[in-house]
Amino acid sequence: MKSLRPFLATYGTALAGLCVVLVFAVLSPVFLKPANLAIILRETAFLGILSLGFTLALTTAELDLSIADVASLAAVVTGALVHGGFGAPAAVAAGLTIGLVCGLANGAVVTRLAMPSLIATLGVAAIAKGLGFMITQGVAFVGRWPTSFTGLARGSLFGLSNLVWWLIAVGFAAWVLLGWTRTGAHLRATGEAEEAARLAGVRTGRMKRLGLAACGLAAGLTGVLLASSLSSAAPNMAGDHFLYAIAAVLLGMTMFEPGRPNVAGTIVAAFSLKALGNGLVLVGAAYYVQDIVLGGVIIASVALSAGALGRAAFVEKLSFRRP
Amino acid sequence: MTAAVTPFLSLSSVTKSYGAVEALKGIDLDVHEGEVLALVGDNGAGKSSLVKILAGAHPPSAGEIRLRGEAVRFASPGDALAKGIATIYQDLAVAPRLSITENIFLGSELTRGPFGLPVPRLLDKAGMAREAKALLSRLSVNVAHPDTPVERLSGGQRQAVALSRALRWDARMIIMDEPTAALGVQETRMVLDLIRRLHDEGRTVVLISHNMADVCAVSTRVAVLKGGRKVIDRTTDGIDADRLGHMVMTGRDH
Repeated sequence: MKSLRPFLATYGTALAGLCVVLVFAVLSPVFLKPANLAIILRETAFLGILSLGFTLALTTAELDLSIADVASLAAVVTGALVHGGFGAPAAVAAGLTIGLVCGLANGAVVTRLAMPSLIATLGVAAIAKGLGFMITQGVAFVGRWPTSFTGLARGSLFGLSNLVWWLIAVGFAAWVLLGWTRTGAHLRATGEAEEAARLAGVRTGRMKRLGLAACGLAAGLTGVLLASSLSSAAPNMAGDHFLYAIAAVLLGMTMFEPGRPNVAGTIVAAFSLKALGNGLVLVGAAYYVQDIVLGGVIIASVALSAGALGRAAFVEKLSFRRP
Repeated sequence: MTAAVTPFLSLSSVTKSYGAVEALKGIDLDVHEGEVLALVGDNGAGKSSLVKILAGAHPPSAGEIRLRGEAVRFASPGDALAKGIATIYQDLAVAPRLSITENIFLGSELTRGPFGLPVPRLLDKAGMAREAKALLSRLSVNVAHPDTPVERLSGGQRQAVALSRALRWDARMIIMDEPTAALGVQETRMVLDLIRRLHDEGRTVVLISHNMADVCAVSTRVAVLKGGRKVIDRTTDGIDADRLGHMVMTGRDH
């Protein structure tokens, strides 16, 4: 079946995600219940928004290892303002601004100081983490939160959680940006062939700053939504999402547009990973099994598509190979 | 010399130093409208430095560049492009993983409003694919679907894609850096035909090449660089590849 290969190369891992859902549907009577699906979707929303930011940064072939710590810092700053008596709009704006500022800082270090993003964003991550602990003095903001703030994540519209609508909005914006605008074309060209793009007149430094700024903003939004959803804000609350986000983007790169970070792939991968994690819990797997499976997914998604992903721009960069 | 016509591009006393290394030691060079000027010279003669200055990729350390008689400074490749000078680099001519259309329109993408509205400006993918096909067929190059990644094309086809991008900018002067390096006989012939076609259209071509036969086949004038200086500047009338090769080695025109 020769005609099946390109189909599998493009949709293979998306189908694998579907198989995961089917397997758990059979193994667990609860898995497909609307209440459980709602849980998976809400979890997918946090992960999806965070991963979409990472997708935009990775499109320019830059990594952002600060996403989780920036999201936590944004949550903490938002929490501090809400508990300090500020209104929800001001607190949310502050959380988003923190994310954006961290993203801009990443972009400035990467492009102005010409530093590899692997190192630059690790530095910003440590700073964000430290600031988070400084603001909270090591404890979490808990207690009663005003409904004007918690409604952001806990409300629903047309039977779907607000969180899912947030994901749809961010996903749509990222899809339009990457696929249908000149800026998106320049972001991709920067990631795929930086020097050729620069010589063709593309402002590659600006594109990297834009990708990393968008990534920071998405992390900020994730932090705000986490605080709103959980009614708490702790300096390490988004930590668990870090490896999940990287796995989602890498797994997403194996589908739809093999080798390229892409919006649809990231969202489907985020859902598949969260369905997998949820299913494992339902069938009684120990808590640590999730992490082990996640590591397997990261390695397998790169190995499975060694053809497309192995030559992806950022992989070339990381392996210090000349393209 | 009856140089009554203002040259398209004119360099005077242009130097370029990289730290202690002086790559160009005062170059005077005129490029006239409509000519095919070959820049030849051994490795390290200063060809690449000169190309980067012409292309706007590097600023000169000293000296003046005049475009149609007016002094210009190119701060970036985009500046040079805007002034009608496009450069096709040997290794960086195209982005391999981007499609033919994406490469041709890189940096000058077409947009249009949806449903005939003025905003928002979205990529006009159908229009770009159509125009990409038209540009390539104008160069008499038949390639696969315009969505094909450029890495699947042959070397000659890649040159055609890069050239199409230059034509999209309506470049008056096109600098081609080693366009026939690593090409087969057939492909080389195709690229030389492309250069002749540009010449017929009245465009100015600056050709950098190590292949003396190619230079003699298509260029109207040749400038020989040696040790960061221009040592010979003459028409290609009556020169063959052997003699040109001798000039490059000795730096003398006899």
